[in-house]
Amino acid sequence: MGVRISLRDVWVRIGPVEVLRGVSLDAGGENIVLVGRNGAGKTTTLRVMLGLLKPYRGSIVAESNGVKLDAGRIQPHVVARLGVGYVPQGRMIFPDLTALENLEVSYGSSLPGDVLEWLYSLIPDLKRFIDRKGRYLSGGEQQMLAVARALVKRPKLLILDEPLEGLAPRIVKTIVEVLKSIEEEGVSIFITESGSLARVRELVDIAYGIDRGEIVYKGPVEGIERDEKARARIWGF
Amino acid sequence: MLGIVVDLGYVAAQTANALFYSSILFLIASGLSLIFGIMRVLNLAHGAFYMVGAYVMYTVFTRLVSGAEVGVVAGILAAGLVLAAIGYLVEVGLLKWVYSKPEEVQLLLTFALILVFDDTVKIIWGTEYKALQSIPWGSFRVGEYLIPVYYIVTVAVAVVVAFGLWIMFTRTITGKKIRAAASYPDIAAALGVNTRILFSLTFALGAALAGISGAMAAPILTAYPGMGTEAIVLSFAIIVIGGMGSILGSFIGALIVGFSRTFMAIVYPVLEIALVYIVMALILIIKPTGLFGEREVERR
Repeated sequence: MGVRISLRDVWVRIGPVEVLRGVSLDAGGENIVLVGRNGAGKTTTLRVMLGLLKPYRGSIVAESNGVKLDAGRIQPHVVARLGVGYVPQGRMIFPDLTALENLEVSYGSSLPGDVLEWLYSLIPDLKRFIDRKGRYLSGGEQQMLAVARALVKRPKLLILDEPLEGLAPRIVKTIVEVLKSIEEEGVSIFITESGSLARVRELVDIAYGIDRGEIVYKGPVEGIERDEKARARIWGF
Repeated sequence: MLGIVVDLGYVAAQTANALFYSSILFLIASGLSLIFGIMRVLNLAHGAFYMVGAYVMYTVFTRLVSGAEVGVVAGILAAGLVLAAIGYLVEVGLLKWVYSKPEEVQLLLTFALILVFDDTVKIIWGTEYKALQSIPWGSFRVGEYLIPVYYIVTVAVAVVVAFGLWIMFTRTITGKKIRAAASYPDIAAALGVNTRILFSLTFALGAALAGISGAMAAPILTAYPGMGTEAIVLSFAIIVIGGMGSILGSFIGALIVGFSRTFMAIVYPVLEIALVYIVMALILIIKPTGLFGEREVERR
């Protein structure tokens, strides 16, 4: 069985701003996109799911193979060890570490040869810059590394925060191909998107729409553009 | 200097003196730099850890162990362990609660710790200077000057510690995790790194380095209340010169400060203390991240 993370009526306040206002959603099991404009609350939702942010109201449960964590015990490294991979917005490659060391930190020890070979087979470009420091990688290289870093422990749920943002079409294609192939291996993905759904449509079945901290749509991806009210709140047209 | 015959023995003795002083400074500054570079905590109480290390050495040396050589080695180990424990307790019991608070709260807390440690030391050991009387391993002669072998031992300890830290940070997975968490603690945590434990370990390690530094200083410089203040001020100068979080930077910075103070005291004493800060100011103007500090990473 995979990993499931469920939020119920989650409220988050940052300074004076209510960033999430009663968000409920379920991640895992299916391939899901969370779509909304910049500032709608996507990243905050992910941070709550990952245990990086505590809501002041509402519940969060993460479970995998009968191991169940409720709000009190949710800590980021524990959530990760349930089998959750994370590709953060802006890539956040550790700049002082080489690409290989970035992978090692996520793996938790030095990397066995077969794991590295598996990553090379998914993302052949990695080989080219594996010994280069994070700060000297291009945006595209960093994004490929960020995906590899999230996959290195073979997660069952992969959470990606706008992974296609600001990338050259060739890199977008590479990353979409990687995500498709890990989906075939049984990994669920949970991806966010701020613009059009065109680039992620082939990766996901379910869409959540978010606007100003509220979930405004939940259903099949095809339905979201037909739902006029949701469309207006998500894209403004 | 024209017309003066340079006395080689004198130069050797002063060089040994400068190297000893630099080694002590490196040990304390590397701990401060480690804690600041990784946890972004400016630990004002770091000098107090150094002072407590010196008193631990005094007690072990004069009360618990007989024999100067054994006493010094036992004192260094004991100071390292005691300060690691104190550092761990301070981090878990106090500091971890203020990470999310404004920086001035951290400064106030660590400043309060200086007062607490200073008074505790006075209660336990009194206010007078505590000298160790005998320094182990004797000395050797260069020209007319005697150089304590203990100086050489201290330099060796500093070099071994520097090398050990370098190995730890570049070759071990724990070191790599610490460097990762130094840049993006949240991301490291979300990738499965237990940053809570790493931060406690880092703080304990930094405190242990201060303790070892104080212990090594005690036989030469004696132990006294307030000895941490001078040490902490110079340590700040060193990590500004060398670069925050850089072990190599602390090493080079300590040499610059140690040598410039030792030799200025001879050549032109008026500038003995000022030179350190002139160098620091120049570095801040020319390369604000310090000699070996890398570009600052924007933290989330």
